[in-house]
Amino acid sequence: MSMTTRRTVLAGATAAAALPLGARAQGAMDLKGTTVVFASWGGAYQDAEKVSYCEPFAKATGATVVQDGPMNVAKFRAMASSGTPDWDVVDITGGFLEVAAKDGLLEKIDPKLVTLSRIEPRFVHEYGVGCIVWSYNLGYSTTAFANGAPTTWADLFDLKKFPGKRTVLDQPVASLEVALLADGVAPDKLYPLDVDRAFKKLDQIKGQTVFWTTNSQSQQLFVDREVVAGIILNGRVYDAAQKGAKIALSWEQNIQAVDYLVVPKGSKNRAAAMRLIDTMTVAENQAKVANLIAYSPTNIEAYKTIEPKLEPWLCTTPENTRKGFIMSQLYWRDHLKDLTERWTAWKLA
Amino acid sequence: MRAVDGRVWLILPAVSLLAVAFLVPVGWLLSRAFTFPEPGLQNFALLWERPVYMRVMMNTLVISAIVTPVTVLLAFPVAHLMAHGSARLRRWLIFLVLVPFWTSLLVRAFATAILLQRHGVINSFLIGFGLIEEPLPLLYNMTGLLAGCVQVLLPFVIFPLYSSMARIDPGYMRAAATLGAPPVRAFLRVYLPLTLPGLVTGATLVFISTLGYYIIPALLGGARQQMIAQLIQDQIAAFGNWGVAGALSLVLLAITGAMVALLHVTVGLKEIAR
Amino acid sequence: MSADGMTPWRLLRGTLVIMVAVFLLAPLAVVVIISFSSAPFLQFPPPGFSLRWYGVLFSTPAWTNALWVSVQLMVPSSIVATILGTAASYGLVRGRVPGARLITACLMLPIIVPGMITAAALFGIYRGLGLNGTLTGLIIGHTVLHIPYVVAVVSSALRVQDVQLEQAAATLGAPPWATFRHVTLPLIMPAVMSSLLIAMILSFDELIVSLFVSSARVRPVAVQMWSNLLGDFDPTIAAIASVCFLFALLVMAADLALRPGRTQGIG
Repeated sequence: MSMTTRRTVLAGATAAAALPLGARAQGAMDLKGTTVVFASWGGAYQDAEKVSYCEPFAKATGATVVQDGPMNVAKFRAMASSGTPDWDVVDITGGFLEVAAKDGLLEKIDPKLVTLSRIEPRFVHEYGVGCIVWSYNLGYSTTAFANGAPTTWADLFDLKKFPGKRTVLDQPVASLEVALLADGVAPDKLYPLDVDRAFKKLDQIKGQTVFWTTNSQSQQLFVDREVVAGIILNGRVYDAAQKGAKIALSWEQNIQAVDYLVVPKGSKNRAAAMRLIDTMTVAENQAKVANLIAYSPTNIEAYKTIEPKLEPWLCTTPENTRKGFIMSQLYWRDHLKDLTERWTAWKLA
Repeated sequence: MRAVDGRVWLILPAVSLLAVAFLVPVGWLLSRAFTFPEPGLQNFALLWERPVYMRVMMNTLVISAIVTPVTVLLAFPVAHLMAHGSARLRRWLIFLVLVPFWTSLLVRAFATAILLQRHGVINSFLIGFGLIEEPLPLLYNMTGLLAGCVQVLLPFVIFPLYSSMARIDPGYMRAAATLGAPPVRAFLRVYLPLTLPGLVTGATLVFISTLGYYIIPALLGGARQQMIAQLIQDQIAAFGNWGVAGALSLVLLAITGAMVALLHVTVGLKEIAR
Repeated sequence: MSADGMTPWRLLRGTLVIMVAVFLLAPLAVVVIISFSSAPFLQFPPPGFSLRWYGVLFSTPAWTNALWVSVQLMVPSSIVATILGTAASYGLVRGRVPGARLITACLMLPIIVPGMITAAALFGIYRGLGLNGTLTGLIIGHTVLHIPYVVAVVSSALRVQDVQLEQAAATLGAPPWATFRHVTLPLIMPAVMSSLLIAMILSFDELIVSLFVSSARVRPVAVQMWSNLLGDFDPTIAAIASVCFLFALLVMAADLALRPGRTQGIG
């Protein structure tokens, strides 16, 4: 259950990663005439996935890959519970993975078709294979804190030393963890969450907080100088900084989350879908994604081909892995409903 | 007085389409309130037990109740000028009202946020002219939400209201003046009642539309401006709980129906309708 | 209202209208200005001038396809909604229908029921009919969603409309259809046209049902924008919004130019 254990790279993983893409296929170009539908979150992210996973797959097997989306949980549910999903491979969040698996919406990953040994074990699930890792970080304005930046979550709650408005994701997920970490709870003692304590801590900044719902909003709030610090995704900070925004992040106590590729239950192209997922596990393909949009690979071999300038921004480097931990997907599977209700009530109070 | 005539059949196409493409699918989904995950009333019991749902429902009603009169008040002078100004002026006003409408709601909401920010145009203007010292909190609160909703919903009141006003025979107002009524009295007792159909239609549209909003509260409102549509969405999307979503929707429907009936009865069409 | 007098009211009215005008147009101005920004953020005022976002817009097939889909979607759906809605309004207000109130309330349901529910319901039904990811499915959905607005606006106009005019025409021997065409319709035309335009615009902006029913190939602008909003977010969105604004401007300007001598309304 504890997600803070780290596994070193298996020697076997190195050997497996050296296998060429088509080694596990029954032979190249054998999927001609098959159409596989790949659904993800749209925008630059999906473009990167298209170039890095879908195109190599299509080239090697002769299959046609069609892009669809944007990923929408309600739509996914409706589709998967009907038994004839339109999507064959879908990029979903780790949080939803656990819920979807429990609700019987996913196909089991076929280890004969997907080279699971390439992927770090902590990112492998019975019903999905981790494709990227991202994290919730403490983001802050570099102009507001030119001398002495906030580094730990406790700093986020210190309105005296680091005055100004905060931004927090409009959900209990990660926000409650942040509050507890700020209150001094160690990462390996976090779960099950002491919810009362977390909300009490959050009350300290509630009056100064703007809640964000979309990623673009989180960026916009910093760009517009509406907030000076907050909980924000690492990829968003990277993106904003690249575009010239005066924003930076801290890796201390970063809370990591994983996106998985899954196959909805009842997919007509199950085997082809699995092989597309296999393409995703290849180190070079993962490196491509990282180089394009700074999301972290789940295959550590990818670091061999990732540009060095990106490393400070990636979660799965040894340094940042050490400083952070992976959020408990199982805890949230069981408590998301109740805690979302409580979050709503807390906001209204 | 005519008996039921052939014109009744004119309602058939709309009603048929509605029945097939809306009532049946939605009715089925809403019926899940009573059948998901098991038959019974447990979903409604849940709403009763967990106060947060009804509190958000109340919050939504209050927000709609604030947005509606503000929108109507701002719409009135515009519709009035449209109806009684020159044809050219009317054109420009229609232009003014419809053209922003063509710009995507999402983008306009972000643009409104940009204007209302602490370092945005409005605050910079006010501070620059020395009218205030500290920036006003215009965003991520009720003010921001109000600005967003009103902006989007103004046309929904302006057009029905204009439609009513344009049909008012000026003879009525002249008669009132001839009979010695002071302008304000004539306005309140003669003009205003004649605009009621349009006014009530507009007000109803605004009220109902606001109830279902979630994008604007998410982008422009604050923690206290939570609305029911987001909760319904969460139930379906995050939890797959069609039962609770259906139950919430039915409650929303019932309350909406009651409010609209109340509106029509008090402000009423009775004197205009046959 | 008489042409002279009541200056305090006119002053108040004028001031309020100008305030509303600024209120409605200011965000628009911001959007247009940002579309020419050189910065990759929605920043105001923008640091510099650039046409790059328009370049992105017109060179990206995703956007140009989306625009075309939106046009193909909003025109038919709004026309059908207006015709059906106007007919229904006429039948409800003028015909003596038992339970007219109830039927009208039912016709209003698509506005009251939360969009998410309607979207999921349609998505579910369409699966069996193969209508997901088709323009037809989208058109049906949008038509149903927007009929209530037409009914609301046109009914309201019909109620104020003096029924005696129609009765007079009937007394003079005009058959019902002729009465409608030559007496009623011209008089309610402003309301009908308004509701047509409202339906078109609502269709263009509609997100939730479109999100469920669309697919990568048949995707209207609203869904494309939403997909961008979730991920990368830059002034391309402002550029497309400005293009639509420009389009609306041209349409309105054309209308203004082509009918200068039209008579004033009553009063």
